[in-house]
Order: sequence, then C-alpha cells, then structure tokens
Amino acid sequence: MLYREAGQFKTSYDADQAIFPILQDRIFVLALIAIAFLAPPALGMSEYLYTEILIPFLIFSLAAVGLNILVGYCGQVSLGTGGFMAVGAYAAYNLWLRVPAVNDLVIVFLFGGLMAAGVGILFGLPSLRIKGFYLAVATLAAQFFLDWVFARVKWLTNYTPSGSVAVGNLSAFGIDIDTPVARYVLILAIVAVLTLVAKNLVRGHIGRSWMAIRDMDIAAEIIGFRPLRTKLLAFAVSSFYVGIAGAMYGFLRLGAWEPLAFDINRSFAILFMVIIGGLGSILGSFLGAAFIVLTPIILNQLPGWLGISMSTALISHLEFVIFGAMIVFFLIVEPHGLARLWAIAKEKLRLWPFPH
Amino acid sequence: MARASHAGTDVLLSVENISLSFGGVKALTDISFDIRKGEIRAIIGPNGAGKSSMLNCINGFYHPQEGRITYKGVTRRQMRPHEAAEQGIARTFQNIALFKGMSTLDNIMTGRNLRMKTGLLAQALHWGPARREEVEHRAFVERIIDFLEIQHIRKVPVGRLPYGLQKRVELGRALAAEPDLLLLDEPMAGMNLEEKQDMCRFVLDVNEQFGTTICLIEHDMGVVMDISDRVVVLDYGKKIGDGTPDVVKANPDVIAAYLGTSH
Repeated sequence: MLYREAGQFKTSYDADQAIFPILQDRIFVLALIAIAFLAPPALGMSEYLYTEILIPFLIFSLAAVGLNILVGYCGQVSLGTGGFMAVGAYAAYNLWLRVPAVNDLVIVFLFGGLMAAGVGILFGLPSLRIKGFYLAVATLAAQFFLDWVFARVKWLTNYTPSGSVAVGNLSAFGIDIDTPVARYVLILAIVAVLTLVAKNLVRGHIGRSWMAIRDMDIAAEIIGFRPLRTKLLAFAVSSFYVGIAGAMYGFLRLGAWEPLAFDINRSFAILFMVIIGGLGSILGSFLGAAFIVLTPIILNQLPGWLGISMSTALISHLEFVIFGAMIVFFLIVEPHGLARLWAIAKEKLRLWPFPH
Repeated sequence: MARASHAGTDVLLSVENISLSFGGVKALTDISFDIRKGEIRAIIGPNGAGKSSMLNCINGFYHPQEGRITYKGVTRRQMRPHEAAEQGIARTFQNIALFKGMSTLDNIMTGRNLRMKTGLLAQALHWGPARREEVEHRAFVERIIDFLEIQHIRKVPVGRLPYGLQKRVELGRALAAEPDLLLLDEPMAGMNLEEKQDMCRFVLDVNEQFGTTICLIEHDMGVVMDISDRVVVLDYGKKIGDGTPDVVKANPDVIAAYLGTSH
C-alpha cells in the first residue's frame, strides 16, 4: 500500500500472528466495517440497492467463504453447494414454522447451518476414497438428491404445491426485521462474525490440517493427521456456512422460495466465485462474490448510463457474452484469482515509487 | 573414520523376518535387524534394493505380509501411519513431501499437530487456550528454525524455495514432532557438497543434542561411513550385510553388490 510496515517491530509471537500485523491495515479494516454498518442506513439508499446488490453480495460472500474452506483450503471439490443451501433454508423454515417458541432468526439460522453441517458430513464420507473430479461427481449426486428430496418429501415444504414456501413477521434479538435496512444490518453482522471465525479457523492448527490434506494427503497422514476426520470437519464447517447462507437467502433475500432457488446453477455460481476470487483466500471469497453479483448488473445498466439505446434482449445477450469473456480473461491473466492480483498489487505498492 | 558413538545397548526397534511383496514382486525377503536407542543407523543398498520399502514398513505405510516389528517393547504386525506418528516415529521423504502452498513456518507447525489439542470452538474464537497453545508451539518451532538456520525464509511459501532448503524444512517438520525415532529417506540426495556438509552437521547435532535415534537411507558412501554407527546393507530385498561401517566395507558380498563380480 502507500504505507509501509517500517518501524513496526513485533516483540511477541502473539503480535506477529495477528490477522492484520500492520497498524494501518487494522485501521483500514475497522473503518471499512464501521462504514459498512453506518453508511447505508445513514445515506437512506433505495430498496433496489439493498435487495439486488448489498444483500445478495453479502449472502453469496458467506456461501463462498464456506465453499472456499472446503475447496480452497481442504482441496475437496464440491458441486453440492446449492443443495446444502437448500438444506439450510428448509431446515430453518421448518424450525421457524413448527416451533414458534424459538422464532428468533439467529437461532433459526444456526439450526439451518447445523442441519446442513450434518448433511454435509454424510455426503463428505465418500471423500476418503475418491478425489478430485470423481469427488466432484459424487457431490453432484448430493445436489440432485437434495433437489429431489425437497421436491418430493412434502412434509419438508409443509405440503405446499411445488414446494414453494413463504416466511413473514421476522425478528431477531426481539427487533422486528421488516425493512431492507434491518435485513441488511442483520446479514452484515452475521457475515462479519462468521468471517472472523473462518479466518481464525484457517490460521490455526485446524486450518493447517486442512491445507496439509490439500497439499499432500499421504504426507499429512504420516505426520499424524487423520484424513477422514480432517476432511469431514472441513465438510461440516463448510456446509454450516453454506447452510446459514442458504437460510439467509431464503428468509431475508427472497422471503418466499421454492427448491428451484437452490438448483445446480447456484452451485456453479458459488464455485465460480471461489475460483475467480481465489482458492484458499477469505478475501478472495468476497472479491469473487462481488465480481459475480455486480458485473452482470453493471453490464446490464451500462448502455443506459452511456446513453445507448438497445433492446433488452440484446442487452441481456451481450451481458452473457461479455461476462463469460471476462471470466476467461481473468482466469488467463491470473489463475490464482482476484485475491492474488490484490496481493501482487500490494507487494508492488509497498515499494512504489521505487522499482526495487 | 567412525565417530564417537552415543548409542546405548537398549534396542529401540527391532524388525524380525519381515517379508513384503506386491503381487509377484518380492520387495523384501526375511529381513531382520535392530536399531539401538541413540544410534545413527544407516540402510544402504543399490537402487531397488527395498530400502524405502523398509522405512515404509517401519512407519506403518506398508503392511508386510510376514514378520514382526517390535518398537519400544511392543510387538506388532502392522499399524496405521498416524499411530506410528503418535508413538514418536517421524520421517522425511525421498521426494520432498512438503505442503507446497504453506509457509515454512506453517509447514513446521504441522509437525506439532499431535500436541495441539484445543477444539473447534476455542479455535474459532481464537481465545484463551487456543491462543496460548498457538504461541507456545510457535516458540518451540522458532527454536527449530534457529537450529536449522532458516530464519530468513520463515514466511516464504515452501514451493518457492530451492531444493536444498526444502529438504531442510522437511527435516524441521519431522523434528517439530520431537520424535524418538527419526527416519530419513535420502536426506542428502541431489545436494551439492556444501549442502551435504550442512545436512550432516544437522543430523549429527540432532542425534547429539536431542538424543534422537536416527535411521537413514543414503547413497553417498562417504557420508554413510562417516556419520553412522552401524550399517545394514540390502540388495534385491535381502539383507547381505550388517555391522559397523568398517565391517560392512570389508564384506565381500557388499563389495560385489556395489561393484559387481566377475563370473
């Protein structure tokens, strides 16, 4: 950055192991979080901005963090993200519907996350024997199976036709969550806490066990890691995050949804976020989610901003073409994702304006 | 010249009549030898002699069809690799098996994994015990980093390091487990003279300072004869020699295996 770490000496390992060892970084991140909490409500932004941009961005960021734990940190490819989101959403819905005594959203979401974690462990079991593309196919089976369950097991969707369910009169901590601002702040708080937790996990010995399995599973086993336990823990934690993201997506973004909201396309979209953002990077999950959520919207609006008149069909087709080309471009320029681009930029700026 | 030995007479590990085959290929046939507490034991032999297979049997990665392994007085047919790790057997690999995406520091920290006990919740909050544990083990790992003189690459991803340093980091990861028995599979392969000398010094220092028993495979005869207390020689999966470097050097079968015989 435009500042350097010069003069900031660490006198304890604790200080050296902080998430942001440089003072300016800490100030910057705290300021960013404060702005995220305070600015949108204060500016009185339109509902469109909340429901179409900020809320989806945050929810998908959380799902991407979850998937990144599994794919980026533990090296287990999963195409079942949509299915695990559905588990979170419908588990949360059933608790909310059937046990009115605990309709606090935080508890409801936690329940959704825990159920998704359980299902994740179940579908993670084959990972002991199969790896790579083959595991991806096995998790694809999870996606289709879970789609089928929510379409066919009527009890789970309260016997509504086509499995479409709706929620209303939501509250968390005794506060009604009925405005876009309230929904946004609740989501932001949950995402902030869970992101911190994810960062703590990946920098501790649990995160090292995941990365060891990812980088060389045989060596990891020989120095004492238990492959099955480690992989299943990654599946559980990952699915927990994805499940909470699914529950939030259903409750706070859609309000009413059917199983189709969590189909295979959702799985792919979140996997793309992780790959484009950067495998094995928490920051990358956010960058990837921002890219996938924002780019189509910007491309869609761009002709209007530039004063070019085009038919909506042409715009939406162009959007697909340009979006696809951008994905390919980014993957060629930096296969390690946006997070690596950011790291390289930081490394360069550290010396700027000097070449060495 | 053989060095002054630190070996006692207690046997730490003994293998008896080990046979290992892969289908029709006999990798090891009826191998018996022992490793005494505190000694540096070398396993040598031409390529394909079964040296690495022998190490793989000792740390539970291969399961021999016949024979017994007695370690710390407990006899077993086979065990899982993580059980071997829990009982104090650590190893390095012929082809470096580091975690390439992680830094030197994190790689060596993984060697402490069996001693890190805090659970998921404490880790998630990075609070209290989890934080203390992380700092305690970091302090231990820093001592190893000092010992191996790799302070400058502490935070560099190991995939970016040159070969010789990677070998050193891998030794560090094995040492971090504070093993009783350290298995080194060709620790000096592919190194230049200076790197070899450094590595010899580290191996001898580990043996002397920490009292670690070492079993190593090495092709450089100069190194083997200099640093090891006793040498076992394998050829085509059979044991053809066993004893002090001087005894092995004079053994006609060993000379034949290495230099060939005229028929």
